[in-house]
Amino acid sequence: MDLAFNDEQRVLHDAIVQIVTPHMDIPRSGPTVKPVEFMYADRLDHELAEGEFFSIALIDGCGLLEAAMLVYETARAPLVIEAAGSALIGALLTGEALPRPVAVARMEDLPRAVRFLDRARTLIVDMGDDVAIVSTDGLPIAPVHTMFAYPMGRVLEKVDLSGSRRLGPSAVPRLRHLCRLAIALETAGAMQSAIDFTTQYVKDRRVFGRPVGSFQAVQHRLAADLQKARGCYWLAMRAAWSDVPADAEIATLYAQRAIKAVNYDTHQFNGALGMTLEHALHFWTFRLRILQGELGGARAQATTLAETMWGDPSSVPVPVSR
Amino acid sequence: MDFGWTTSDDAYRAELVSFLTQELPNNWWDSFAYDGPSGPELMNNAGSFNRKLAQKDLIVRHWPQAYGGQDAGAWKQIIVSEEMWSRGEPRSSLYLGANWAGPAIMKFGTEAQKHRFLRPIADGEVLWCQGFSEPEAGTDLANMKTRAEPDGDGYVINGSKVWTSYAARADTMFLLARVGATGKGGVSCFILPVDAAGITVRPIPAIHSPHDFNEVFFTDVRVPADARLGEEGQGWDIVTTILHYERIGAARYEFSRRTLDHIVTHLKARGLFDDPAIRGECSKALAEVEAARLLTYVVIDGRAKNLPPSADTYVARYSMIQADHAVANLSSTYLPDLLTHDGDGMLRAHFTAAITAGIAAGAAEVQLNMISGRYLGLPHGA
Repeated sequence: MDLAFNDEQRVLHDAIVQIVTPHMDIPRSGPTVKPVEFMYADRLDHELAEGEFFSIALIDGCGLLEAAMLVYETARAPLVIEAAGSALIGALLTGEALPRPVAVARMEDLPRAVRFLDRARTLIVDMGDDVAIVSTDGLPIAPVHTMFAYPMGRVLEKVDLSGSRRLGPSAVPRLRHLCRLAIALETAGAMQSAIDFTTQYVKDRRVFGRPVGSFQAVQHRLAADLQKARGCYWLAMRAAWSDVPADAEIATLYAQRAIKAVNYDTHQFNGALGMTLEHALHFWTFRLRILQGELGGARAQATTLAETMWGDPSSVPVPVSR
Repeated sequence: MDFGWTTSDDAYRAELVSFLTQELPNNWWDSFAYDGPSGPELMNNAGSFNRKLAQKDLIVRHWPQAYGGQDAGAWKQIIVSEEMWSRGEPRSSLYLGANWAGPAIMKFGTEAQKHRFLRPIADGEVLWCQGFSEPEAGTDLANMKTRAEPDGDGYVINGSKVWTSYAARADTMFLLARVGATGKGGVSCFILPVDAAGITVRPIPAIHSPHDFNEVFFTDVRVPADARLGEEGQGWDIVTTILHYERIGAARYEFSRRTLDHIVTHLKARGLFDDPAIRGECSKALAEVEAARLLTYVVIDGRAKNLPPSADTYVARYSMIQADHAVANLSSTYLPDLLTHDGDGMLRAHFTAAITAGIAAGAAEVQLNMISGRYLGLPHGA
C-alpha cells in the first residue's frame, strides 16, 4: 500500500493544481465578492480543455484515479466547471470524449433541475433499464434559476429518446457507480474548501475581543468537520482506485451524510455574512446542498450498500479492496 | 497511489490467520475474550499463546533487525493489530510493548535498557501496563503529581496512578513520574517491575469490565537510576512521541468491521434485517468504519515512510471513536440481550471496548483540541 501519488500521478496532479490554483481566487466586484449564486469558470474550463484534461481517463496508463484527481481539484475552486460528467462519467462509460459539457440525469429528473443541463452539449440519461447518450441540439432546454451554486437546466417537454444512442442494460449499474464516485469526489473537494475558507474566517474574525476560532465550541465542531472531509477524500480516492461498487457506495454514503454537519457548522461560524452573496461560502456549501440529494441521497446509498454487502442471506462479503 | 496489499502483506496475514485459527480455541469469544484483553481467562491464556507467537516470530517482525525484528515495517505491524484486535487481542497487554513501549526504548533507551527490555517483548514473555493517569490528572496529564525523588544512585517513587489497565496481572510498568519541576518539563519516564516493593494494586470494578481498571499506589518504591528512560525531564517528549503510536496502535476499526458482520448475522437470524431502516443503519456504521480504516492507513503510510508523526493521528483516532460507537449502538439498540453476561462474547467484548474508546488514549475532546491547534491552526482560547 502506498497512499502517495506515484511519479506519473504526481506530475499529472501538479499540472492540474497548477492550472486550477489561479482560479481559486474568490471572484470580486470591487472590494466585495461578486454577488452571484455561481460563476462558471470559462477560462479554467478552456485551459483544461486545451490541455485535454477532460479525456485524461482515456490516455494509456491513466484511468479512473486520474479522472478523480481532476474532479476533486476542480471541485475545490469557488467557480464551478463541469468536469465529472465529461472526464469521469462520460469518458469511462463510453470510452469516448463526448461533446461537452456533459449533463447526467435520471429520466424522471429531466423536467426538474439538472446540473449543467442549461449548457450541456451531451446528456447522459439513466432510463432505469438502459442508458441513453443524447445530443442536446434541438432539445427544448431552459435554464433554471436556483440557489445551488451550479448552473442548472430542465427539459421543457417530454423527450422522445427512442432514436437515441443506447448503451444497453449493463451500462445502468456502471453509470450509477460512476455517478456515485463523481458525487463523492465533488463533495470531498467542495467540503474541504468550505472548511478551509471557514477556518481562515474564524481566525480573522473577532468577537468579544477574541478570534471566533479561539472558542472551543467552534474549534471542536470544525475539527470534527475536518475529520469528515478527510474521510470523504480518502474513501473517494480508494473507490476511484479500486473501481469496486461497494467502495463507491461507501464513499458516497459517507459523503452525503457528512454534508449535513459540515454545511450547518460552516454557515454557523460564518454568521450572517455567510448568508450573503457578498461572502464566498455559498460557492461551496450550496453545491454541497444539491449533491446531498443526488441519486436519492444517503438513504438510497445506504439501501444499495446493504444489498451489496449483506444482500445474500447465506453470506457476509467484505469489501474487495480491504 | 495504491490501496492494495502487497503479496508479502497478504502472505503475512495468511500466516497470522493460520496461526490464530490453529491456536485459539473454538469457544474463544465466550470463554476467553468476552471480557476484553484484560479479562482473567484471556490473560491466563496469553502467556502460552505469546510464547508460541514468538516461536513463529510473529510478535516483533516489524521491528528493526538490530532489535530482533525483520524490518518488516509499519504495514506488517498494522496487519498484526488488525488480526489480533479483531479477535479480542489474545496477546493481552504484550501489544503495549510491541507497539510503543519497545519502540520508545529503541529511541530513547540506553544499550543496557534495550538489552534488558526488548528481548522479553520479542519472546512474548512480558505483559506491560502504563502508569499515566492520576486521580487529579487524567486528560490533564501534565498535572500529574507522582514524584520520583533522586536518592543516592536511584530514585524513590511516591504517589498513585489510576484507571491503569492490566496492572493487576502485568509484569512491567511504563511509568510517568515527576522529578523536580512542575508542568511538562518535570515529567520523566521510568520502567519498573509491577511487583517491586512498595507497589500496591487495587482493582477497580468498572461498568465495562470487572477486571480492567486498577489503582496503583507507590509507597517509597526504590528504583535504580537505570530504571529511568531518557533524561530527567524528557518524559513529556517521550510520551507525546509514543502516544502517536498508542492512539492508533489498536486497529479498532477492524474489530468494528468484523463485529458489524456478526451483528448483521444476528439481525438476519431474528428477521430484523428485513427492516430497511435497520439495514440503512448498518450501512452507515460500515461507512464510519471504513473512513476510520483509511484515515488510520494514512498515518501508517507516513510511518512506513519514516515521516515524523503528524496531526493525521488525531484525525484517525477521532474517526475510530466514531466508528466504534456507530457499531456499538447497533448492538445496544437491536441486540441488547446479547450484551448480557451469558450473551454473545464477541458483541460484548466489542461493546465494552467501544464505550471506552472516547476516553482511552486521550479523550475524544483532546483529539479535537489537537486537530484544532495542530491541523487547522486555530488560536488558543482565553
